[in-house]
Amino acid sequence: MSGDRPLLDASGLVKVFGSGRTAVRAVDGVDLATDAGEIALVMGPSGSGKTTLLTMIGGLLHPTEGRIEVDGIELTGLGRRDLARFRRETVGFVFQTFNLLETLTARENVEIALNVAGVMGAAAHERSTELLVAAGLEERLEFRTRDLSGGEKQRVSIARALANRPRLLLADEPTANLDSRNGREVMDLLRRLAKEEGCGVVAVSHDARLEDVADRVLWLEDGRIRTHELH
Amino acid sequence: MTSSRVPRRVPVARRNLLAEKMRLLMSVGGVAFAVLLILLVASLYRGWSAAGGLFEELPGDIWLAQEGTSDPLRTSSFLPSDALAAVAAVPGVRAVVPVYARRVALEPGNAELNVYFLSLAVPPTVGLPADQQRFLPTRGSIVVDAALADEAGLEVGDTLDVLGRPLVVARIEEGGNPLFSIAFMNAADARELLALPGHVSFFLVTTTPGADRDEIARVAATAVPGSEAHTAADFANATRDLVNQGFLPVVGALVGIGFAIGGAVIALTIYTATIEKARDFGVLKAIGADDRFVYRIVVQQSLGVGAAGALLGIVASSLVATLIRREVPEFVTDLRLLDVILVFAVAVLVSAVAALVPVRRISRIDPAMVFRA
Repeated sequence: MSGDRPLLDASGLVKVFGSGRTAVRAVDGVDLATDAGEIALVMGPSGSGKTTLLTMIGGLLHPTEGRIEVDGIELTGLGRRDLARFRRETVGFVFQTFNLLETLTARENVEIALNVAGVMGAAAHERSTELLVAAGLEERLEFRTRDLSGGEKQRVSIARALANRPRLLLADEPTANLDSRNGREVMDLLRRLAKEEGCGVVAVSHDARLEDVADRVLWLEDGRIRTHELH
Repeated sequence: MTSSRVPRRVPVARRNLLAEKMRLLMSVGGVAFAVLLILLVASLYRGWSAAGGLFEELPGDIWLAQEGTSDPLRTSSFLPSDALAAVAAVPGVRAVVPVYARRVALEPGNAELNVYFLSLAVPPTVGLPADQQRFLPTRGSIVVDAALADEAGLEVGDTLDVLGRPLVVARIEEGGNPLFSIAFMNAADARELLALPGHVSFFLVTTTPGADRDEIARVAATAVPGSEAHTAADFANATRDLVNQGFLPVVGALVGIGFAIGGAVIALTIYTATIEKARDFGVLKAIGADDRFVYRIVVQQSLGVGAAGALLGIVASSLVATLIRREVPEFVTDLRLLDVILVFAVAVLVSAVAALVPVRRISRIDPAMVFRA
């Protein structure tokens, strides 16, 4: 991509669920741009369209209108297979409920993301170890994820999201299921690792404590950006 | 680094299967039971089919029979006994043994049995190897197979009334067949009880080594008007055909049912496991896995259950077949390696087919579901 274009460039995004009188405009004309190495925090109350916006940026939901470009890839024209490739190569996800595979260990949860991208065997093993150690989980590598605390699970989730060196990290309410200390630690980790890996971050949350770690904060309400401030 | 011990891929399928041990046990057990059923039926069928091999064990290469006698067990054959010299004179014939044979209805105790009696009138000049002496009971005695002994409740030393003459059971041979019981009688008794005066049932011809058997058979049949020649293999196959007619439909049905049960068990297990793990598969899709990646996991789970169940079933079949041979000798089992390999291969194939059941379900998993709490 060219140096002066943002990593994420979304414009005129609209998402309508349903039709006719029951139609709901979950996202209603959102413009959003993020640069590499930047953390953008989208805040707003429940039902404001935050997760829908994130889902569209992650290539999991087609917008009704508008366009999304991530690292030079225009998403709206991509088919199912190319979108899957986009998700494994260009973005990483951190979920509110962690979404770890409970039958696997912490390391295997990171390795599986690498396997999905075609990285196998020792290479996947080493990369997953490196990330989990960086996340402070060197003592928990072979623990089943059901035996980890919430904070530890979210660290594994972040390590998994970064496994394939994505250009953009998408975090959905990453601290919602954590206490304040763990929430803070997880966001610090997210910020540190994202900077180290050189990727941009879009996090959605209604947790005001996250403003401290964000470079840019947007307030979303009724599917529209109401305020936009730089930190 | 321990790269040599690092698996190429994360073994998701194995982890998923082992996470639900009871379900794994039940599904593997179900497949094993189906394989056990299939292999036992197959081994019984093989064992009964082997009964036809008796005709190949008897001392001779060519059976000269009355014209139209393609099946020795279900058709009667009469040849003039004085034709012996003509057959013996055919070039390449080393020995000729007159054979008396007849199906006799017996009523030992409350049982009603049809027994095929065979008697070899081996001339003193023909020496038989030790293992064939068992076909030659002494006068007043008979040799029966285990199936007949079991049905008639006979033991060695018991007496059986055959056409009004009490004959003592001298020996019980292993095996037998519920479709046709075979017993051997002394030639002198057979001449009095089984034969039409001046007739034998067959001439059993032994050829000289290297002789042209087809030519000898042709010449011998010409030498005895109204006769035809069969090889021992022809008669053995005719007997096997008899077993096939009676049992193949049953065997086929049971094998089909066995595979259907095994397939249904695997399909149900895999479908349930897929539904249960739909969220995990959604996560994998969300992080970029395509349907093929997810489907590989499902196939591996299915093949894992199928292969483990088949192996367990094979081991169980071997044990049960051995137990049957020991406890119920009239049930001749013959568990063949080829059958085992074939059943294992089909079980794995059925597992792969069963993995197709959740294909639609997998393709319909929406990765966006992972954002729903």
